[in-house]
Amino acid sequence: MAGNHRLNPISLSLIVIFLLLTTATADEHEEVFTEELLLKPLPDRKVLSHFLFLSTSTAPAESNHRHLFPKSISQLVQKFHVIDMELSFTQGRWNYENWGGYEPLSSRNAKPPGVELWAIFDVPQEDVDSSWRGLTHSLSGLFCASINYLEHSTAYSTPEWGFQPSSGSLRYGTLPREAVCTENLTPWLKLLPCRDKAGISVLMDRPSIYRGFYHSQRLRLRVDKSGSSGTGSVIRLEQTLTVVLQPSYQRASFDPRIAGLQPSWSMSSLFGRKISGACVLARTSNVYLHLEKNLIATLKGMQQENFQAEVESSTLQNSFGSSVFELSDHPDEIIKEVNDSQDDDLSHMYKFSLGRLTVSGPFDLGIRWKKPVLWSCPKLPLRVSRFLMGSGNERGAIAITLTSPYKNEEFTLASGVLEACPLTINVFQVVPWYIKVYYHSLRLAVDGELQPTEDAFDKLRVLPSEDKVSPGVLELVLKLPCGFKSAALTVEFDKGFLHIDEYPPDANQGFDIPSAVITFPKFHPSMQFDIQRPDSNSSLFTGFEERVPVRAYTEVLLVPLTTPDFSMPYNVITITCTVFALYFGSLLNVLRRRAGEEERLLQSKGKKLSPLAQLVSKLTAKIRGRPLASSQSRASSSPFFINKKLVLKVVVVAGIAVAWQLFSN
Amino acid sequence: MAEISPSPAASADGPSPPPPPLEYDANTMRTTKPGVKRLFLTFSVLVSFLLGFPLLWKSIEIYRAPLPFDDIDSISRRIESNPPQFPCRFRAVFLGFDSAFQDVSGRVEGLKASIDDRMRGFAPEARHCGGCLSKYSVEVTVGAGDECVSSESVRGLDKHWCGVIGGVDFSQDDQIVDDELEGILRDENAYTVVVINDKVVAGMRSIVGKFKHAWIFGTVTVEEAVASTVEIFVKVFSNGGNDNGLVPGEFMPVGADGSIVLSFNLLNADPHSWVYDWDFNRIEEDMISSIVQGLKSIADISVESQVLHYTPKSSYSYWDDKHESNIFSTSDLPFFVNSNEWHLDTSVAAGGRSKILHFVVYIPSAKECPLKLQLADGTISETNGFISPMWGGVTVWNPLHCSHDKESHPRIFRKILPQDLEKIFEVLVGQIRQLFGLKSDEIFIGATSRSRMLASNKGFAEWELDFLARQHTCFNLNSCASTLGSLSRLVQSLPRMIIIDKIGKQVKHSVEAAKNAETQVSSGSFDAAAASSKQARSLAEDAFFDPSITSISYYSFEHCFAVYSPFFLPVTLHVVLAALREMKRYRQENRKYLTWKSKMEGKL
Repeated sequence: MAGNHRLNPISLSLIVIFLLLTTATADEHEEVFTEELLLKPLPDRKVLSHFLFLSTSTAPAESNHRHLFPKSISQLVQKFHVIDMELSFTQGRWNYENWGGYEPLSSRNAKPPGVELWAIFDVPQEDVDSSWRGLTHSLSGLFCASINYLEHSTAYSTPEWGFQPSSGSLRYGTLPREAVCTENLTPWLKLLPCRDKAGISVLMDRPSIYRGFYHSQRLRLRVDKSGSSGTGSVIRLEQTLTVVLQPSYQRASFDPRIAGLQPSWSMSSLFGRKISGACVLARTSNVYLHLEKNLIATLKGMQQENFQAEVESSTLQNSFGSSVFELSDHPDEIIKEVNDSQDDDLSHMYKFSLGRLTVSGPFDLGIRWKKPVLWSCPKLPLRVSRFLMGSGNERGAIAITLTSPYKNEEFTLASGVLEACPLTINVFQVVPWYIKVYYHSLRLAVDGELQPTEDAFDKLRVLPSEDKVSPGVLELVLKLPCGFKSAALTVEFDKGFLHIDEYPPDANQGFDIPSAVITFPKFHPSMQFDIQRPDSNSSLFTGFEERVPVRAYTEVLLVPLTTPDFSMPYNVITITCTVFALYFGSLLNVLRRRAGEEERLLQSKGKKLSPLAQLVSKLTAKIRGRPLASSQSRASSSPFFINKKLVLKVVVVAGIAVAWQLFSN
Repeated sequence: MAEISPSPAASADGPSPPPPPLEYDANTMRTTKPGVKRLFLTFSVLVSFLLGFPLLWKSIEIYRAPLPFDDIDSISRRIESNPPQFPCRFRAVFLGFDSAFQDVSGRVEGLKASIDDRMRGFAPEARHCGGCLSKYSVEVTVGAGDECVSSESVRGLDKHWCGVIGGVDFSQDDQIVDDELEGILRDENAYTVVVINDKVVAGMRSIVGKFKHAWIFGTVTVEEAVASTVEIFVKVFSNGGNDNGLVPGEFMPVGADGSIVLSFNLLNADPHSWVYDWDFNRIEEDMISSIVQGLKSIADISVESQVLHYTPKSSYSYWDDKHESNIFSTSDLPFFVNSNEWHLDTSVAAGGRSKILHFVVYIPSAKECPLKLQLADGTISETNGFISPMWGGVTVWNPLHCSHDKESHPRIFRKILPQDLEKIFEVLVGQIRQLFGLKSDEIFIGATSRSRMLASNKGFAEWELDFLARQHTCFNLNSCASTLGSLSRLVQSLPRMIIIDKIGKQVKHSVEAAKNAETQVSSGSFDAAAASSKQARSLAEDAFFDPSITSISYYSFEHCFAVYSPFFLPVTLHVVLAALREMKRYRQENRKYLTWKSKMEGKL
């Protein structure tokens, strides 16, 4: 500040020239960061918020110098030669029925509970496993999670085509029981240049986002070796956080007379925070409100007048909206989905740019519903569920059911894909080795009728598990006729035994079988949006346009295994040893017994007996089943004899103890 | 089973009993020899039991790779009692003392003796590890008139040699003189001080070059020259410009595996004020790579950089009208580094036990700009930075004009201008030197003279690298010896600890490398000794911190005892007691038989 006073005109003009020069060079910056947030009301009165941060770097991968791109990630790429990688931390299950299944967002961002990691390496086949091990350890350190448990060969698998097509250098592993919390989010935020200090990520108030119904934090890394620039590689790091939140009913807007009214919400009511401005380091910084296709169609149906005309006329007022809902802010742009089929009822995207926020106050986007709206979201082609059958600790069966959510004619209409018949479904299932699956018992029943396997299975790859070495992998392509109601895939298994030190600390809870991955390779939901200015930086829209097959994850199964008593080894040792010692001792005694001599001895002695000794001898005689007369007891010296023996024993034990003490010292 | 031993009573019931003699007493005598069947049986059980013990012992034995305990002990003892000392060659060249020296060859010996004398005076205090002063040799060369005489026979020395040195124009720029002298003296692996007595120049100048030589130039008496020469030998060339020549071992910024990661960070405290970026690739080529090259023998250095944002410092500063700047004082320095917001530590490249040194260039926000460091004596620091030993260094860079231009869009990435960046990195290089225990002053002030130190564009002068190599060799050997010593003590104190082959191999190689380093120390090859000692230390640390040692691999004797005693205690008791009883009985019966026998014999 002090320097201000000494500015002379020449230096000022120099600064201006310098600034101009630097602005010119700034466009050639090799590293770009963008941030986007998508908000979407869901049919079950929840709100989906999807944060998307994209960092790209065109600097050569060998370079150790980074400006915006996180250094640790580029070092991962350098060290382990990762070319494609996805890591997700998820809490809760994605509700495919109510939150959407047949759309790009869910097939990319719905993830199984816990941690899922897959990676493709650019190394020779024999080095892939060591790279994977290194990668799991590094990620485990980076994200404060137990990803390092994925290093054991029992924890990961090598899918060939069931998960996604790969050339053998793909590794896939999941940790269904990994708990996800702030200690995983903080290092994830560290990778962003603005962290949660500015921009959209300010909204990530920890108590709010962890209160949600679904929370998935994802990191996708892609290295494009033959980059578009032609000079080197392009590293793209896509970080997404998908949260499903339940907005609380605000008292002002809640009118109990209107049943089924959607809750009104705003950013501050959802997250407890407002956006104060864009992250200055981001090239673009936008918030989108997405109203999906079915909602738009419902809205149009509800309003007799032209929906479009109303929307445009209302832009003049302070708030924005229609007779059904009202937005607290004016969108900068309304982006509409375009389609080949000339359908008018397509989804709308309201864009709010944060770049302009430096002048106006904090940004707090809200939506207020005036009339109840009911709509449904695009569902999965088939409803997928998985469960366990059987009881006891010995054997059981896994069943995956696929049921049609539609009536026959509705299905073909809804998906608009008649050519998809017969339905092709990829099933990818990893089973830990201690669940010994009998793959010959794989059965498919369609509408209750058992199908011959050669017809039903188009393609099958089975990698049986090897005890303590590798998990079992099942990759399967099912071919199902159109118009069926339900199909069930079952496979039987035996429960194995683990070694005592292989049990986790909480063994009685049971063991998790990771989610099965169901892919519908013929369904590629993609959305084209009518963007006036083609904005190549918006990874949200490029993601929507990309043709990714529909994917769904099933539930995680919990299998109780027989758990031993963990003090068992010592008990076993003690009891076995005692039995052996007893046997050994008595055998030795019997071997050196002289029966005749003993009896003679007894006869010759035993004239004077104490009452107690008499009693004892009577008893022993009874037990031995011999006449009392012959077994005149030992001697008058009997008590003394016993005492002597006792003393001897005590002395022996004491001697051993003393010797032991001396020895151990 | 019930084998009946032939006894008088039993035979009495038998069908054909020999009539017992009258003197026969059944209690004290027997007519037959006692049987040995049961005795044999119990003893065979006992013997097989005893024979089984070594087998059991063998089967529960744990694997321990043999470690060279004796070698380890001898190395630690050697290094402790006799710290490694390097042989150094010092050489003094006196030119232009024509009038003082009449008898040149006589004076050479005299000068050598006086230099030796003075150096011996320093020797006791400077006999630390890695020092140079216990095995040195001094050569003196005097050039007077046409003569050029040396105390030792030096290769290539003739009367022209002195002339060549004398031919250098010492009045020109010091850097040029330094390079010219290097051209003449390069082949000599000795530390040289050239003294030129030139009456034309008033006063005396003393300059330490960036290679392995120094020169004193001007009007000097012989005594002054000798004193200054010895001081340069001892304080500069041997002790690295430090007073005592010691770099504390715990402040040696080299990782246990002998590698260092230099992590350079540019921190924009508040991007709303401005966002600066730098062209690190260029500065790395210009300045850092030569340092990395120079320190190669001491450590493997890798360099990385990043730019971080939203990283405010965590200490306070206040506005000072006198300096027209925000001031933070030296007492705030411990709180300057904000470990919550400065995410400097994530380096996947620094795996294992390598050392990361962080260098931070802090750009203050508009509110606290310009930010200046006030030293304890109230003056403003010229470098505007500080170091933290073993951690790294911080320097604050204030943008040229601290005006926060509201209209300029903050999204503009400004680049730090190359000349500014060069200045910043000069400070950072100074900080690296300090972290390695060297001084960054331009002037060396000794007891008798002030010497100017020439700065090398490599960051380190050659004699400084030699000094560092010596210090690091010493430190590495010490650390290797103490690590191996601890390992051997640990292993010997836990007799049932498993030691895998890998550890045995690592220890063996570490000992070999340490021995190599010791021989290289005595032969005077600094770089090779530094490299070997680095290897020795890193192998020793690898062995000590091997996961198989740190994990719970200790299978104690108590555990073993608890597992086996339920079987062996009762069984042993049975077997031993049975054997004892049988023995006792046999002797008793035998005595009876002998009594009877003797009676019979007596009767007969």
